[in-house]
Amino acid sequence: MRYTLTLLAALPALILSAATLAQADDDVITLGASVQQTGQQANTGRYYADAYKLAIDTINAKGGVKVGDKSYKLALKLYDNQSDVNLSVRQYVQLITADKVNYLLGPFASNYALDDSSVAEKYQIPMVQGGGASGQIYARGYKYVFGTLPPAEDYYASTIDMMGKLDPKPANVALISADDSFDVSVAKGTREHLKSAGLNIVVDEKFAENNADFASILSLVKSKTPDVILWSGHETEALNFIRQMKSLDVNPKGFYAFTVGVPTADFRKALGNDANYAFGMTTWLPTDKLPDQWFGNAADFAKVYKEKFGYDPDYHAASAVADVETYAVSLAKAGSLEPPKVRDAIAAIEFDSLYAHIKYGENGQIVLPQVVVQIQNNELMPVYSTDFLNKPQYPVPAWGERK
Amino acid sequence: MLLAQIIVNGVLLGGLYGLMALGMALVWGVLNIVNLAHGAFVMLGGYIVYYLFTTLGIDPLAALPIAMALMFAFGYLLQYVVLNQIIRSAMLNTLLITFGLDVVLTYLAQLGFSADFRTIAPSYAGANFGLLGITVPVAPLAAFAIAWLLAGLTWLLLNRLPLGRAIRATAQNLVAARLYGVNPRRLYAVTFGIGAALAGASGGLYGMISHLSPYVGAPLTAKAFVIAVIGGLHNPFAVVASGLIIGIAESLAALYVGPTYANVISFGLLVLILVLRPSRALRAA
Repeated sequence: MRYTLTLLAALPALILSAATLAQADDDVITLGASVQQTGQQANTGRYYADAYKLAIDTINAKGGVKVGDKSYKLALKLYDNQSDVNLSVRQYVQLITADKVNYLLGPFASNYALDDSSVAEKYQIPMVQGGGASGQIYARGYKYVFGTLPPAEDYYASTIDMMGKLDPKPANVALISADDSFDVSVAKGTREHLKSAGLNIVVDEKFAENNADFASILSLVKSKTPDVILWSGHETEALNFIRQMKSLDVNPKGFYAFTVGVPTADFRKALGNDANYAFGMTTWLPTDKLPDQWFGNAADFAKVYKEKFGYDPDYHAASAVADVETYAVSLAKAGSLEPPKVRDAIAAIEFDSLYAHIKYGENGQIVLPQVVVQIQNNELMPVYSTDFLNKPQYPVPAWGERK
Repeated sequence: MLLAQIIVNGVLLGGLYGLMALGMALVWGVLNIVNLAHGAFVMLGGYIVYYLFTTLGIDPLAALPIAMALMFAFGYLLQYVVLNQIIRSAMLNTLLITFGLDVVLTYLAQLGFSADFRTIAPSYAGANFGLLGITVPVAPLAAFAIAWLLAGLTWLLLNRLPLGRAIRATAQNLVAARLYGVNPRRLYAVTFGIGAALAGASGGLYGMISHLSPYVGAPLTAKAFVIAVIGGLHNPFAVVASGLIIGIAESLAALYVGPTYANVISFGLLVLILVLRPSRALRAA
């Protein structure tokens, strides 16, 4: 009896606190995401987890988001998908059905985004993702999926454009790519770009994802003496590729380039001097020429990010921030929290962010040029976008002729 | 010429594979434990060599014995304190506990070492020399030589030393071994320690040739498992030799069948062996 009384006495308080809780929920817009925080892809996944958090905190610190007459704070519901695609799909379903998040942010990597975006489309909840670049994600006529990485098919477009202006001009190319969704798209697009530029493909080889041994492919490449190696895969594989290039003494006459790794500080650290001369690409560089409403500019962002997390951001992190900012801008434009209205607002917006000028194409994917970069004396140098930005170290010296 | 180069690549790679499988085969054969954390041991050995090299400046090859000693102590304690509790229980239990161990070690490694990629890169890591028009990389060659050396030492230990006789006796007939005064608990711990030490050595070499991250272990466990089954569990030389077979098969497959099939080849070989020689494989398991 006494317990019942206490319970009864406590009831108003309980109701009250539940009410304030609901009230609090009312003022919060929750973005849901599942990201690789552990497992094989944790190394790149961390950019997304950290950048989402930083962007949301910064936007909240500057007053949050105004939708209609009401101010909202942003919140993040983040799951660790343990580098498991199937788990990540389940987590996105959970985010929508159980956690009732308002909108979705993406995972890292094309094969994840490919599957996870289907969940967004099915439940008609917008997903803005900065981790998947494969054209397959956008080829399905989805209406609720937007992306801040440019099409994988065009990753090597600027590099191939640059090849036309190099002296001596390279002619023979070895194309080497992994067999997953993203890299298959890269290879497909690259083949077409090479063909229209009139370049010969002398080696066109695929390798198994998560493979660490390139000895066979490298021996073949060596026997064909190409001018250029264009390589597409993941960071660890790029690292192994370079190490084995050196130990098997494989020297293309012109240069060698990678889709990933080169812009990443961790990659350069792991390879040390062996990283020098490698070409790569990035959609983003931390310059003060990219103004941002919340962070000031890209250079300021890079500083804050480094201070907070202890490592340098790369384009993955900047792209992730642009995804969060897309919501902040679109929600204000939409003047409503209704997913279809927010979706239409995202499709129509245009704004400057620390990542790039954001405007989504008809299919939901952004179009951005890749800046060709090269590691010169252990520093990352932008080399080419539509014209030369800095002098490339070309042709790349053979391994035996380096200091 | 290309074919010759690819076979050389495969042989050198296979030596390292064989060394990885050596520890697993030993533990499996004597203790009847399929150690699913074996790849994690390889990873730990790699990190030990990495830190000895980068912080104390000890040459990676000189650091290998130190890593082996540390991994031996680790393996000994692990077996003595944890695994001995379940050694006589069903195979499933040992699989479960070593699987759990693998998960724990991997995530502890991410906490301790971060998910950053590391390479063990002494000046000679990328060195090579030409021989009859074939490029021979030095680090894989060293790994190859060390694999055979350690296989030889393991063989000597098992076949020529009293300790090895005790180990084999325990594996063959526990009761009889006990009657001769063998303490199986200690002996199991020693065997598991040797297995861990061999894994540690292969980890250091792997870090020199490839890269380290907390997640390199699992695929290496799978590879070591295949090689151990193909090579059998009782002859160290056969284990390393079957590493060579897998290495060559994968290298050839990568070019002539398509690299995507490298794993199909090694696991296909496993299935083939199990079908053609089930008695031997089953006795092993």
